[in-house]
Amino acid sequence: MAGILDVPKPRINSSMLSQNVNRPVCFVGRVEKVHPTGKTFTLLDGEGQTATVELNDPLEEELSGIVEVIGMVSNKGVIMSSTYNMLREDKGIAFDLELYNEALKVIHDFPQHYPFEVAASG
Amino acid sequence: MRIRQVNNTSPPRYRLMMSDGRHSFTSFLLATQLNHLYEEDLLVPNCVCKVKKTSPNTLADGRLVLTVIDMEVIQSAEETGGMIGDPIPYNTDDNTSQMQSPDSSSSLAASPPPDAVPGSSDRNNNSSSRGFAGRSTMKVSPMSASPMETSPMKAPTMAASPMKASPMKFSPMKTSPMKAPTMDTSPMKASPMKFSPMKASPMKASPMKFSPMKASPMKASPMKFSPTKATGSSPGSSTKVISIAGLNPYQSKWTIKARVNNKSNIRTWSNSKGEGRLFSFEIVDDSGEIRITAFNKEVDKFYSLVEQGKVYYITKASVKPANKQYNTLKNDYEMTLNANSTIVPCDDSEGVPAVHCDFVPIADLESRDNNDIVDVIGVCKSAEDVSRITTKNSREVSKRALNLIDTTGKDVTATLWGEEAEKFDGSGQPVVAIKGARLSDFGGRSLSALFSSKVMVNPDIPEAFRLRAWFDQKGYALDSQSLTETRSASSGPKTNWKSLSNVKDEQMGHREKADYFSCVATVLYIRKENCLYRACPSQDCNKKVTDQQNGFYRCEKCHREFPNFKYRLLLSANLADFGDNQWVTCFQETAEVLLGHSAETLGQLRDTDEAAFDEVFQRATFTTHIFKNRVKLETYNDEARVKVTVLEVRPVDHKEYSKRLLGNIHKLAG
Repeated sequence: MAGILDVPKPRINSSMLSQNVNRPVCFVGRVEKVHPTGKTFTLLDGEGQTATVELNDPLEEELSGIVEVIGMVSNKGVIMSSTYNMLREDKGIAFDLELYNEALKVIHDFPQHYPFEVAASG
Repeated sequence: MRIRQVNNTSPPRYRLMMSDGRHSFTSFLLATQLNHLYEEDLLVPNCVCKVKKTSPNTLADGRLVLTVIDMEVIQSAEETGGMIGDPIPYNTDDNTSQMQSPDSSSSLAASPPPDAVPGSSDRNNNSSSRGFAGRSTMKVSPMSASPMETSPMKAPTMAASPMKASPMKFSPMKTSPMKAPTMDTSPMKASPMKFSPMKASPMKASPMKFSPMKASPMKASPMKFSPTKATGSSPGSSTKVISIAGLNPYQSKWTIKARVNNKSNIRTWSNSKGEGRLFSFEIVDDSGEIRITAFNKEVDKFYSLVEQGKVYYITKASVKPANKQYNTLKNDYEMTLNANSTIVPCDDSEGVPAVHCDFVPIADLESRDNNDIVDVIGVCKSAEDVSRITTKNSREVSKRALNLIDTTGKDVTATLWGEEAEKFDGSGQPVVAIKGARLSDFGGRSLSALFSSKVMVNPDIPEAFRLRAWFDQKGYALDSQSLTETRSASSGPKTNWKSLSNVKDEQMGHREKADYFSCVATVLYIRKENCLYRACPSQDCNKKVTDQQNGFYRCEKCHREFPNFKYRLLLSANLADFGDNQWVTCFQETAEVLLGHSAETLGQLRDTDEAAFDEVFQRATFTTHIFKNRVKLETYNDEARVKVTVLEVRPVDHKEYSKRLLGNIHKLAG
């Protein structure tokens, strides 16, 4: 698990899932539904598309609002999450998911200006 | 037939002699708004016109004058080729002979039914055009005279059939209370009544309404085409109700029925001529609106009688050209109540709208001039909370900004003040209409409610329903284009986002006037030495005091000595962004925001706890803020330097910042 956190992970939304199969990614979305077992849940991204997340260990807390998930994309398009981070809505400034989506699109449209791969050095 | 210019009034008035093939009448006065017809040579002798709206008045000597308010030239003189028919001068006294009963049936004698009431009825005879019998009620015998006057006449739908066609149409001649009838019911059967819409035959109109008159009882007099005008039975006499659009200074005997909007309070003034009191109110009916003012004695008479929102019959006020300085309504005239005026409450307010607005689509606001008074209607997409601000005059006032969007897809910010701001409830995205808002160029384009503006939430007018339907279906999803820039504090004419590298590139501050700009920057370093100085303790004096060494401090500006002083901050800081860095000066207020402590506290810390003092500066370093600055080229002892002063420090609003950046990226990406 520590390994995935060292590697640069592109931020993606649902439409980019297919291009990142078998790669570590970072996905931010709003919780839509949590499966009763607590091992999987769906997220909505800034464009309204869904993505499914699977966990190794079932959830121990109530998940709601915006969540940032780090994991690998399986060949079925599901994010096998190794860790997640909940952005609490009652604290700080509200997270604007649509604005985040706009930023994501810019990053992906102009990769030459956003050379993230280099970040791993040092 | 003949047109004569009556020149003794300031806009020229034209008097027409018109004939309908059977009768000619010389007392037609052309309303000023139709003067252009004559001036453009559209109205020439022998042309055939369709008189659509007239209003009769009786002059002081008992003569009847018909003012033509709306007329259309149907056939030019050349085509008509001369006089039609052999008109005999019409006798304006009403008399039954007019009724030419024998005529009835077949010809449509247009003779207008005689009116019993002097002057009130309009006469059909009007103008030339092949005699159309306008609606003369030609009655076939049974009808004769009587129905016309006394029997309740129904205002028939004026079918104007050409005279030849025979069917007689009843002209809604009023005088007798008429009901809008379908004319058929009248025993006019004699000839098949045709309600054919007026065809080509020029209609003469006595002001007859061509549209089926509604049930509203018609007022004998001016037939105003708008059914609403028809006021009902006013007590007795011939109350001819005319529309507000028909008012002009040349008529004196008229009555209008309208609703009062916007009654003002009594104002008193005193000037070299003495003192006086006045109050004013605006009235509206479905043809338009006009402002009425009452002075001195009339104030006492009418102030308590006139209530906002109620409908009244008003008569005999003086009409004069509007004083546009005080009167922003869309009417060339305004009225003053005088000793003869009467105001009578009216119970039948059917048809009188509560408000008459000329809404400007929000997208068109861009093309309007600054400081124009406009009416707008839109859906309130969002509303800010009410805030209290202090004006330059140190008055505290509440204000609230709302976002209005309409079918043009553009939105604009409207500001409400005072009680309206406090009362406003923006929940549920109501339709908001503002009448008489001032357009300003604050932040691009924005609206401000004036003291005289009327703000209506979810008004009961068709425009509002249309907007509501549009919004519920599509509008809410529209990402509208705002005419007003982001409402953050830095918006407004001064919002000028620059990066620090721009300051040098553009040589900002080099012109005569100082340049203002806003930027997002990070503090790199703040000079600790000489950041505090001792200032004069008196109010508003910030001059540095000199230490007299005897326990007193002297202020040169106040020419006084004080045993104390107040600490004031004067920071020299270095700011930087991606492009460049810049030394700036922060005075007391901005410095306190940046450091997070007051000058007094820092003064004491400096003397007591050095470490804590340093700590304050450390904490402020490498923080990012939005700075609003003033840059100017100054000369100091032969040396010209660009000086930048910080006017305002604000925390970064990330959302607004990202939106701006995204916008810039998209713009640059092309």
